[in-house]
Amino acid sequence: MEREIGLTGIGGQGIQLAAQSLARGAAHEGRNVSLFGVYSGSMRGGRTDSSVVVADGPIDAPPLVSHLWSVIAMHDAFWLPTVEGRGVQAKLRTGSVVLRNSSTFDTDLDRDRFRVFDVAATEIALGLGNEMMGSMVMVGAFAGITGLLEVDSAIEGMRQSVPSHRKQHIERNEAAIRAGFDAVADRVLAAPAWSDDNEEVRA
Amino acid sequence: MTRRLMEGSEAIVEAAIAAGCRFFTGYPMTPFTEVLEHFSKRLPEVGGVCINAESELEAIGMTWGAAATGARAATGSVGQGLSLMQESIAEMALARVPIVVFNMSRGQSDYFQATRGGGHGDYRTIVLAPMDVSEAVELTQLAFHLADRWRNPVLVYGDFLIAHTSEAIDVQPIDFGPLPDKDWGIDGSTSGTGRSRMITSIGIGKAHSPTSGIIGHFEGIAPHLAAMQAAEARVETGFVDDADHIVVAFGTAGKFVRYVVGKMRADGVRVGYVRPITLWPFPEDAVARASEGKRAVMVFENSAGQLIDDVKISVLGRAPVIPIGGISTDASGFGVGDMYDAEVIRGRIEAVLAGQEVTS
Amino acid sequence: MTDAIVERPIVPTEHRPDRAAHEVGHKVAPLLLTEQSHFCPGCGEPIAARTILENLVELGVAGQSVAVLGIGCYTAMASSFDIDTVQALHGRAPSVATGVKRMKPDSIVFTLQGDGDMVNEGLQEVLHTAARGESVTAILLNNGVFGETGGHMTATSVLGQRTKNTIDGRDAEYHGYPIRIADLIAQLDGVAYVARGSVHSPGAIAKTKKMVHKALQMQVERKGFSFVEILTMCPTGWFIPTIEGPQYMDDTLGQVHTMGELEVRG
Ligand SMILES: Cc1ncc(C[n+]2csc(CCOP(=O)(O)OP(=O)(O)O)c2C)c(N)n1
Ligand code: SF4
Ligand SMILES: [Mg+2]
Repeated sequence: MEREIGLTGIGGQGIQLAAQSLARGAAHEGRNVSLFGVYSGSMRGGRTDSSVVVADGPIDAPPLVSHLWSVIAMHDAFWLPTVEGRGVQAKLRTGSVVLRNSSTFDTDLDRDRFRVFDVAATEIALGLGNEMMGSMVMVGAFAGITGLLEVDSAIEGMRQSVPSHRKQHIERNEAAIRAGFDAVADRVLAAPAWSDDNEEVRA
Repeated sequence: MTRRLMEGSEAIVEAAIAAGCRFFTGYPMTPFTEVLEHFSKRLPEVGGVCINAESELEAIGMTWGAAATGARAATGSVGQGLSLMQESIAEMALARVPIVVFNMSRGQSDYFQATRGGGHGDYRTIVLAPMDVSEAVELTQLAFHLADRWRNPVLVYGDFLIAHTSEAIDVQPIDFGPLPDKDWGIDGSTSGTGRSRMITSIGIGKAHSPTSGIIGHFEGIAPHLAAMQAAEARVETGFVDDADHIVVAFGTAGKFVRYVVGKMRADGVRVGYVRPITLWPFPEDAVARASEGKRAVMVFENSAGQLIDDVKISVLGRAPVIPIGGISTDASGFGVGDMYDAEVIRGRIEAVLAGQEVTS
Repeated sequence: MTDAIVERPIVPTEHRPDRAAHEVGHKVAPLLLTEQSHFCPGCGEPIAARTILENLVELGVAGQSVAVLGIGCYTAMASSFDIDTVQALHGRAPSVATGVKRMKPDSIVFTLQGDGDMVNEGLQEVLHTAARGESVTAILLNNGVFGETGGHMTATSVLGQRTKNTIDGRDAEYHGYPIRIADLIAQLDGVAYVARGSVHSPGAIAKTKKMVHKALQMQVERKGFSFVEILTMCPTGWFIPTIEGPQYMDDTLGQVHTMGELEVRG
């Protein structure tokens, strides 16, 4: 089975670190992963998307995925079509799992079509003293809701992904991941990644 | 297990080092620069040398010298830089100097350059085209093996997506079997012994060791090319036998096509794919066999139409050959355009099945 | 720009300024089709380019000038210069300029190249063009890095300079020594004028502008090849804060590639 996860937001929201934490965490559990930071054609600022594919076997999906099983939506700046592309929403299918950062994502979502989970990630991060850690909160929440990887693996993935000159942030990041996991305690495995009856996500 | 998440550019470097590459040089150009950066960091750590060449002309020259000593040596660039290197690559092929050259190309428009070359004389380079990072790790190592096996330059055709996609991999040396001794390598140790050596593109040997001579040298070229051609064609095919339609694609485009064809098969559509892994030698037989009795052979490539020539030569009229690719890029020109989208590709294949013309 | 009234924040300070401020007008360089650009803040290249544009106008030759651009960050200027332009391949501008000048002897032809373009990729081009005494003006924007590719070592990077592929600093034993290209060119017989300027301070810019003036004047008078190397800040490729660019240049590149006129014939 293959799961395609998208992450979308704006510069500075920690999208790349979140994507790498998920990828390394899943690899830590022995799964195959591929990760591509979507290239916006400009080195400076703007759109930061990333996609991660996680699979039991060899990965068939190309790195630029056209369908997302799930998306971590930190910001809605690139959700709908823009001049830069057709927008992230166009990659979702009926039943796709959307983790919405309700603190900074305003666009209305079709809750009949998508399985939407609101997580006040930025608010929770602010409560922990640093709004930049919203994406880490989301990583924890994602582990809880989907079980795509254990929360401890996500933390391990984060540990391996933090560059050496930022090692002092590891503890705070870990707290944020755990806070995200706790915030969805009532929704654990509400959208399980690896169970077969989850196949409503079809074209 | 020491699996680690690595970008393709880094994985290629680790693979080259695992294959024993100890010399690298290059001149920056995206997305080849990323490979050069990793080499410049890693080679000194393993006792190798990485030189920041002043230009591609110098890069290929330095690689020539390093390889002439018998060391495993490599360089690379993007299409433009490789254009500059053509004279040397052709000459090295004639002088039978084994090197590996990476083209981290911007799209697939360097297919002709890679398979035909822009150099002089009767020469060919083996061209390996990985579809993703994992395969790049394998084919990079194979490239060094084949270069030594045939004493011939080998090209690895990558691109931006391969350079920038990360996969969790454990790079281990692959054993491709025994190789002949490099008894031709030059290190000065035979000088003054009466048995000194020479590497030359025109077959003139040292006075004391009559080689095949100029005539023999040139007469030996065609059999050498034919031998490589007969032995080294590599290809992956999928769902070909009972298919009505075939899609041919290589590299990143091939990765997309095999994914799309897999999905269409799951929906009961009788389509198959052929993915050349070597662009030269081109897997003509496999393409010919796959095209037998098919309603059409489609070609998906990110260029104005280059691979399609080889497909037509192989199909030889057994089926209509229809282009469904095109030039697709983003504003940066790195060859990562909207066409690299499973939905778009599926749409183009379905248009052919429905008998419509594909507009790209 | 129109004179819109913009509200400025009042900055509280305890110190009275010791003299009245000059009014700084919004002064646009001539011969520009647009003020938009994608250069990094603190980049020295647009300042250097401005010295050329102003001189072309002041010498009255703007209407016969032809630019031949190499490949680097400055390539982006091709679309904003209101000057007939040939975009050359990386390193090859001097030959292209030669061709233009030989066919159009009344034109004023200048190349705009970086250190990567001129001193790496196309070193023989500029040397041969100079030795031939071609009546063209070559302008080198030397920032000691490939800015465009992200800050890699060039043939002019100074010893100890940290670049993306000399992460512990350029080490002579491993990476060799920097080339002082202006000094090299000054030795050739075909040259009429060789100078090295910089744009790291207002004074340096004023001097550089005069050098460019002389170089172009040599071409107007058909005295031979003229060459001005201009040291430019590249905070991005030097991996330093924008504000430190000028000082860094003075401390590093400026110590090796020293300013001044090296050859004035004609
Ligand atoms: C043949 C060739 N090789 C490599 C490149 C990639 N490339 C583009 S710009 C550049 C370096 C530019 O450096 P420089 O001339 O110093 O200009 P700067 O960006 O520093 O202003 C390189 C290597 C190219 N365009 N063509
Ligand atoms: S990278 Fe350097 S040379 Fe290029 S625009 Fe930025 S500061 Fe200027
Ligand atoms: Mg430069």
